[in-house]
Amino acid sequence: MASPTLTTGTPDARKGGGARRVRRQLPASPWLFAAPGLLITGAFILYPFVSTLVNSLTDRRTLVPGEFVGLANFRELLHDDMFWIGLRNSSLYVLGVVPALVLLPLLLALLVQKNIPGITFFRSAFYTPVVASIVVVGLIWVWLLDERGLVNSLLETLGASPVGFLSDQWLILLSAMGVTVWKGLGYYMIIYLAALANVPRELHEAAAVDGAGAVRRFLTVTVPAVRSTMVLVAALSSVAAFKVFSEVYLMAGPSGGPAGEDTTLVMLVQRTGTGLTGRVGYASAISVVVFAVTVVLMLLVLRADRKEEA
Amino acid sequence: MPTSRRTFAVAAIAALVLPLSACGSGGDGGSSTDASGKVEGDITFQTWNLRANFKDYFEGLIADFEKKYPDTHVKWVDQPGEGYADKISADAAGGTLPDVVNVSPDLVAPLAKAGLALDLDKAAGQYEKEYLDGAWASHRIPGMDGTYAFPWYLNTGPLFYNKSLFEKAGLDPEQPPKTYDEVFDAALKIADKTDGDVATLANVPTIEDFGRYGVPLMNKEGTAFAFNDAKGVQLLARYKELYDAKALDPQALTATPESSGKKFLTGAVAMNPGSALDLANFKKQAPNLYENIGITDQITSTGHVNMYVMGLMVNAQSQRKPAAVAFAHYVTDAAHQMSFAKQVAIFPSTAGSLDDPYFTKEDGTDETRVRIAAAKSLKTAVNYTPVLFSEQMKTELRNEVAKALQGKQSPKEALDNAVKACDRLLQQQG
Repeated sequence: MASPTLTTGTPDARKGGGARRVRRQLPASPWLFAAPGLLITGAFILYPFVSTLVNSLTDRRTLVPGEFVGLANFRELLHDDMFWIGLRNSSLYVLGVVPALVLLPLLLALLVQKNIPGITFFRSAFYTPVVASIVVVGLIWVWLLDERGLVNSLLETLGASPVGFLSDQWLILLSAMGVTVWKGLGYYMIIYLAALANVPRELHEAAAVDGAGAVRRFLTVTVPAVRSTMVLVAALSSVAAFKVFSEVYLMAGPSGGPAGEDTTLVMLVQRTGTGLTGRVGYASAISVVVFAVTVVLMLLVLRADRKEEA
Repeated sequence: MPTSRRTFAVAAIAALVLPLSACGSGGDGGSSTDASGKVEGDITFQTWNLRANFKDYFEGLIADFEKKYPDTHVKWVDQPGEGYADKISADAAGGTLPDVVNVSPDLVAPLAKAGLALDLDKAAGQYEKEYLDGAWASHRIPGMDGTYAFPWYLNTGPLFYNKSLFEKAGLDPEQPPKTYDEVFDAALKIADKTDGDVATLANVPTIEDFGRYGVPLMNKEGTAFAFNDAKGVQLLARYKELYDAKALDPQALTATPESSGKKFLTGAVAMNPGSALDLANFKKQAPNLYENIGITDQITSTGHVNMYVMGLMVNAQSQRKPAAVAFAHYVTDAAHQMSFAKQVAIFPSTAGSLDDPYFTKEDGTDETRVRIAAAKSLKTAVNYTPVLFSEQMKTELRNEVAKALQGKQSPKEALDNAVKACDRLLQQQG
């Protein structure tokens, strides 16, 4: 057994001769402090992750343990039309949602940044969708966008034909993207508000003195100052967008829109791997692909940021 | 520190290997079917979305059972309707399946295959004669010997239609369509008269529709699906005709029973399946519709309506099988099914119960009229949903049907693809 180490006080304390106690510290002490966190991480993050990796190499089903099949599930994925539809939709979601969630909350944050009477109300109002349940949000938007819903009634009043927001494959996906952006605006707005508070006022004043207008000041002062926050928002929103489930599930229905054409990868995991006859092994293989793609997405965003900095 | 690293490495390898250890190990398989012995001990009874409306009934039922068998205690657990199959699968996979479980035949099939449902032919065969033959047989699984749940309540539903919409289209509201072909003709007329503003149906055809149209769903051995025959193609072709004419609601491809019910309430759809419970809902939420409501039998071209069967399964791994079997039989016996039927619009599966005056004598109310008509049709009803037809198969069929309706493939191609996909899933189920 290793001998206990002696911690010593500062030189001043040593001079004090007993003003501070010398403590014994066991080598296991840090582990004891870390143990609860490690146990929780191991049980709820590491174990499920490893379990998913292992399951992806088996033909496990809900009630049947299954056998090791190597990469057979991944080979089957390559020939599964629904997998490619899911990959396409999840990727489109990233492309559609991320730019909006990087830019719009920044503009919103600029609007509500100013300290004018009543601005707290608007900040809270913009944040409300963030705390609302996604199911409630989804249902409200389904009512609004229904063929006989409020939006179509307004369009009809204006003489236009009703739009199939919830029956057309692409419009369903676009509508779901709109809901995701709407619900996420407030969350990212708060992050931007914190970043904007750290932008030196003098820079804006100097730019204004030099004759820069509002747009120019935004592009040359604000954007560079919050660039690292924009990267963070891009990274967070791209991972969240690739893993989208609720919005599309609620708007497209459990079958994933007409002929399943709006299915996303996570919806496919849910549909394939759950229930009494669920193919857990195959669903795990799809989950592994989702994990790999999100890691690649994060790396791409971070690399782009590093290049910019260089 | 080498020791810590070694410990970490061992832990990491264990984490990797532990999940693998589950692979290849079969289920219990050796659970006994012997349910004889003293009725005693604690058992758990799980129902499906019944507590909200029938708390008093079930608490009384359980109290009576515990009085009859003083050494027993029944813990009642009720699960919400949403995600019920997922809840059962989590319990089954985790070894926490209750002793007595409320199931439908399609839920029983995978549980029986995994050795988790008790074979009642062996464990409780003496009770078979108490139930309708068809009801007892409804929990038999193709390819397996035995019966895996007590039949509980049966259900069927009338079809509601909006008389005023029929009138506006020049159709006789007192002569509603009875067969699929009559529905299709009426639907095209309504769509034509309203310029596609009113659809007659709001859902794409399901496996039950194929059954009611007279399409054979599986081969005789129950080893492969067969709904892609000429009659199946004909049904889908007619649905495509309706979809093109807007006689089938444009949102049918993504509809759920709830969304189509709402469309019927708003008058956007002329016909919708339902149950006697819906009448109160119409009265409250759509009084204008209630005044014009028409009630008719389910559409069928075979002469046999569809019947939904509920059952009570006994967990084959229960430690208290005598008590579990006794309780499942107690809940589903003739007297208790009859008393439950009087609480709600369901029908008993016990022999002779449907001849009770409650199901045969008119009293002039709509509720009674619906109940009597349904009870009458139940005597020849068929549970068209194959017990091996899983949720994944329903999705495959729905997706292929949607492609046909959109014109992306022919009805024949769609059904061939659906049958191929369902057969593949059937093989994977083992």
